[in-house]
Amino acid sequence: MALCLPVGTTDRCSPLTGRRAATGRVAVRVLLFLAIAGLTAAVPSTGAFGHDIPSDITVRAFIKPEGQRLRMLVRVPLEAMLDVTFPLTGPGYLDLSRADESLRDAAMLWLGQEVSIYEDGTRLAVPELVAVRASLPSDLSFHAYDTALASTRGPPLPVGTQIFWQQVMLDVLFEYRITSDRSEFSILPGLERLGLSVSTVLRFLPASGGERLYQYTGNPGHVVLDPRWHQAAFRFVQLGFTHILDGMDHLLFLLCLIIPFQRLRVLVILVTAFTVAHSVTLVAATLGLTPAALWFVPLVETVIAASIVYMALENIVSPGLRRRWMAVFGFGLVHGFGFAYALRDMLPFGGDHLVVSLLAFNVGVELGQLLVVLVCVPVLRILFKYLPGEQTGQGEQAGQSGQTGQTGQTGWTRQPRRIGAVILSVLAGHTAWHWLVERGAVLWEFDVLATTPDGALYGVAGLLVLMLVIAAFAGWAFLHSDRPPE
Amino acid sequence: MIRRSFIPMATAALTAAGIAFMAVACADMEVAEQTADADAVMAPMFEVDPLWPKPLPNHWILGSAIGVTVDANDNIWIIHRGNGNPSTELGAAQDPPVAECCIPAPPVLQFSPDGDLLNHWGGPGEGYDWPGSNHGITVDPMGNLWIGGNGGDDAHILVFAQDGTFLKQFGEPGARRAESFDEADPAWSGNSMDPGNFGRVAKISFDASANEAYVADGYLNKRVAVLDIETGALKRYWGAYGNEPDDANIGRYDPEAPPAQQFRNPVHAADPSNDGHVYVCDRPNNRIQVFRTDGTFVMEKVLSGNTLGAGSTWDVAFSKDADQKYLYVADGQNMKVYVLLRETMEVLTTFGDGGRQPGQFFGTHSIATDSKGNIYTTETYEGKRVQKFTYMGEGPVEQQDQGVIWPSASR
Repeated sequence: MALCLPVGTTDRCSPLTGRRAATGRVAVRVLLFLAIAGLTAAVPSTGAFGHDIPSDITVRAFIKPEGQRLRMLVRVPLEAMLDVTFPLTGPGYLDLSRADESLRDAAMLWLGQEVSIYEDGTRLAVPELVAVRASLPSDLSFHAYDTALASTRGPPLPVGTQIFWQQVMLDVLFEYRITSDRSEFSILPGLERLGLSVSTVLRFLPASGGERLYQYTGNPGHVVLDPRWHQAAFRFVQLGFTHILDGMDHLLFLLCLIIPFQRLRVLVILVTAFTVAHSVTLVAATLGLTPAALWFVPLVETVIAASIVYMALENIVSPGLRRRWMAVFGFGLVHGFGFAYALRDMLPFGGDHLVVSLLAFNVGVELGQLLVVLVCVPVLRILFKYLPGEQTGQGEQAGQSGQTGQTGQTGWTRQPRRIGAVILSVLAGHTAWHWLVERGAVLWEFDVLATTPDGALYGVAGLLVLMLVIAAFAGWAFLHSDRPPE
Repeated sequence: MIRRSFIPMATAALTAAGIAFMAVACADMEVAEQTADADAVMAPMFEVDPLWPKPLPNHWILGSAIGVTVDANDNIWIIHRGNGNPSTELGAAQDPPVAECCIPAPPVLQFSPDGDLLNHWGGPGEGYDWPGSNHGITVDPMGNLWIGGNGGDDAHILVFAQDGTFLKQFGEPGARRAESFDEADPAWSGNSMDPGNFGRVAKISFDASANEAYVADGYLNKRVAVLDIETGALKRYWGAYGNEPDDANIGRYDPEAPPAQQFRNPVHAADPSNDGHVYVCDRPNNRIQVFRTDGTFVMEKVLSGNTLGAGSTWDVAFSKDADQKYLYVADGQNMKVYVLLRETMEVLTTFGDGGRQPGQFFGTHSIATDSKGNIYTTETYEGKRVQKFTYMGEGPVEQQDQGVIWPSASR
């Protein structure tokens, strides 16, 4: 019997074994496969062979250290247990009278062997499989630790229960030996291979009491379950750093900032002003000071797109440092709401250190932004240097200072730096314009303007007032920009 | 110098303005909540999600949508009839095609909580008799999907696994044909005493603790039938007020007449709560009758009692709190959803109005709730769609008839 069964159009085995660094683990896996193969050969009736990787899987888990042992309860859909043959009966019912051995094999193969738990930085040994149980999808016991524990250790489903095998929930109880329930525990879940998209709801019940809820999709990496402040800070600096580099709209906004002002000192200050502004709204959103209405997220996304369009237009028409100050700060407030939605599900990873986590996230964002500035400025300078045009001293000065110049516009439109700034701004503005139209269309579906103002709308009214003030100030600065560059 | 100082001053002023507005918003909402706590009637509040679900692929289009249910993973299942108008809706399905669009979508569709189409199946196949007019879809405790039918010959129930695998059929189509049945002049008659067949089943619901299925039976019979989930064996049945059902025609509903002692067709839903009651939609009689699970009559609630025609009580769903505090009732004739306090059956508020915009209804046929408290509805006739109403928490009822609940509508 082949060890790697083709499952639909995807073969799960090769990449899995290829990633096994420890040959010992591979050997264990091979032995398990052989055991399963032997079991399969002994099964006389029909069985479920390889099947497609499920698209969306939800895993529910509890982790609770108690004395010298740590309990891990896991519920996972049986259909995620690939490469395991379960005994079936009828049109596809799980044969509960003969299923126990395959359920235990599946539990060890996909859960016990995959999840890594650490005590004070040391990985714990492979856990003992204490109990395994097939449950109905309508079973609600995994909503709380005590009921989940009682159910998993309780009597199995009646043998005659007719439950289609792909609708079975597999409940498993593992126990790890630990030194103390007061140790620092961390986890590397390793369950992202169970489906194309794996959502996990993990509850950690520390010995000191309480409960910490983690919800994530895919692989969250190494998670310290009850982090100290510096561990939380480090994680959130990473989050902020990667978030800014992943967010195309934030990056495009930054690029629009950089294009006309290719001086590091000015840009560092501008970027920092942006960070201060989005920190304000990020904290406000985290504290719940935002409307809960469905249209608020589309509104924020639309304004973010509008902010890029505005910056691009200003770059094209007349980039001015004074207006830019206010625009960056004002739009930073809006971008902060966007960051808040990205951060919402990650806050439990900061443990008790909410403020530290928020500050660290902002620090990470700031570092990411500075990296973008440090990369883009020299690249743009080199790029613009080779653009065609007339190099004039006045143009160099105007371009570098970011001032529009008080003389006729035709004088500096032929300068390479100016031409480059216009081209890049047009491209950025064009992209953002499409986002604006798309997001605006989504927002329009909500018909926000048709609603009656209520308490929640004051928050948005505040945003709109801010934007109006910014616009007014920009207009004021524009009217007063006909003075010599400073 | 003045201009230099203006920038930080303006910055500070803007920040203060923003924070002040946020604070006002927060305070306003808190005051509203406190006021509400003090003297207002509280009820669950919803906003229609106009972006749910996402567009169907393959030029698929829905027909009359006559069933909705939510599984244990909060995926939403609907069933519809694909009965588009050939000349205006199903151009691509004609032979030869007369247009690029549209084609009837498969009868059973599964959506993710985000509105993505996950799976689809249904229609005639080997080993079972697909209903002449499929009707209702409900997920059982094992995750299987039960489907009824209200076509002429439909006298049976089908059970499928979530991947579309046929599992079981209870009852035989054609069992309700009258003795005088003739293909040229077909006729059917109800038999609410039949232990093995049904009479055009509208919907099936489940009591997981007792392993029982409650059948709203239905469009031809006039009973609630309770089956064993696994075998389909009939365990008990009853009619209005717990009476022995009588299939005699009792004529049209008259608001001035004494309450009918029998159900009128269709008996459209029979949903057990988790505290041992069963809520039955006696649709043309405009009433919900409440029973114990053994069929003992408890009480009835008339909703919009002057409603004629198709009646006001089409389907029910429970709020997802442990006590199932609220009962939601779909009304496809008055185009709305009632929110009732289940303990007293008092109507706290209603939402919806007739129309085809988000939040409006045209033939509100079926209703279901997910674990987060969101409501899903499907619409029959020419409504032909599924809608999501996002749960926004409890709030004060400012007007009993909320009308169309656009996002952030006044309350």
